[in-house]
Amino acid sequence: MPDIFVAKETKKESMKEVKDNLDNTKPDPVNDLKKSPKARHKLPGHTRSPLAAYNYCPTDVKFAVADKEEKVVLFLRRHPITNIPWILLASIMCLAPMVLTLFPPFGLLPSGYQAVVIMTWYLITLAFIIEQFLSWYFNVNIVTDERMFDVDFVNLVYREITDAHIDQIEDVTTVMGGVVRTMFNYGDVMIQTAGQVPRIEFLAVPKPDRVAQVLRELRVEEETEKLEGRVR
Amino acid sequence: MNDFLSLFDPGGGVWILAKILTLIGLSVYVVFALVIVKQVDHMTDTLEVGFESQLKAIAIVHLLFALGTILFALFVL
Repeated sequence: MPDIFVAKETKKESMKEVKDNLDNTKPDPVNDLKKSPKARHKLPGHTRSPLAAYNYCPTDVKFAVADKEEKVVLFLRRHPITNIPWILLASIMCLAPMVLTLFPPFGLLPSGYQAVVIMTWYLITLAFIIEQFLSWYFNVNIVTDERMFDVDFVNLVYREITDAHIDQIEDVTTVMGGVVRTMFNYGDVMIQTAGQVPRIEFLAVPKPDRVAQVLRELRVEEETEKLEGRVR
Repeated sequence: MNDFLSLFDPGGGVWILAKILTLIGLSVYVVFALVIVKQVDHMTDTLEVGFESQLKAIAIVHLLFALGTILFALFVL
């Protein structure tokens, strides 16, 4: 007997698939910023994780130099894969005392000194891990609806914050080269500006093409605001 | 010659000097750990993302570890 009715198979898309599909659409930061925090959680590229390297329209980001009315559109860090070298080195440093005890000069020390040397070694390892993590965590690039910031903590006692207005952007270039960068979709975004700082660089950020698209949309919005006389 | 070799005996002059230098070095390290705590505090004031309390806790744990090491060196060496 022939089938009278066969329902079409509907594939239920997971939230990840929905976001991945939307990720291919044109970003609309102007309207996305107007959405409630709950609605923003469904936007592609948005996440609640404080350790994310790419966050679109984040709800929990606050930084000292921002104006009250400024809203963050993009919050970027270096791709997490760039941390692998120091993680590997830290792992080796953690395991090093096990090998150290095999070397004769170490064995000649009294047991108290051996313990102090090992504790000091782990102290230094912990300081190395903290410094590397802080360097990754606090070196961020922030794009708001008015400006873009490059926050660099060069070391624990030296900080550099560069900012430029979105309407000063003259040129945006994305660079993504190499097997690892292509596989993990991260690269550099070079922004040429008309301001005092001629160039701002977002280095090793995820989805550089998407970042360039967002910057383009923000520039268009700034030009529209200028024409309509809505400049802040 | 025997007087020179006795310096290397446990409790000898060399080990007293080594203990003093170790304590000085660890004191400098404790100052460094205090600087880390201060800087993490300053950095989290500049940028708030939602991980600040954990970062401050890690910096304080590091400082306590440094203090523990210097106390250990003081009493054990």
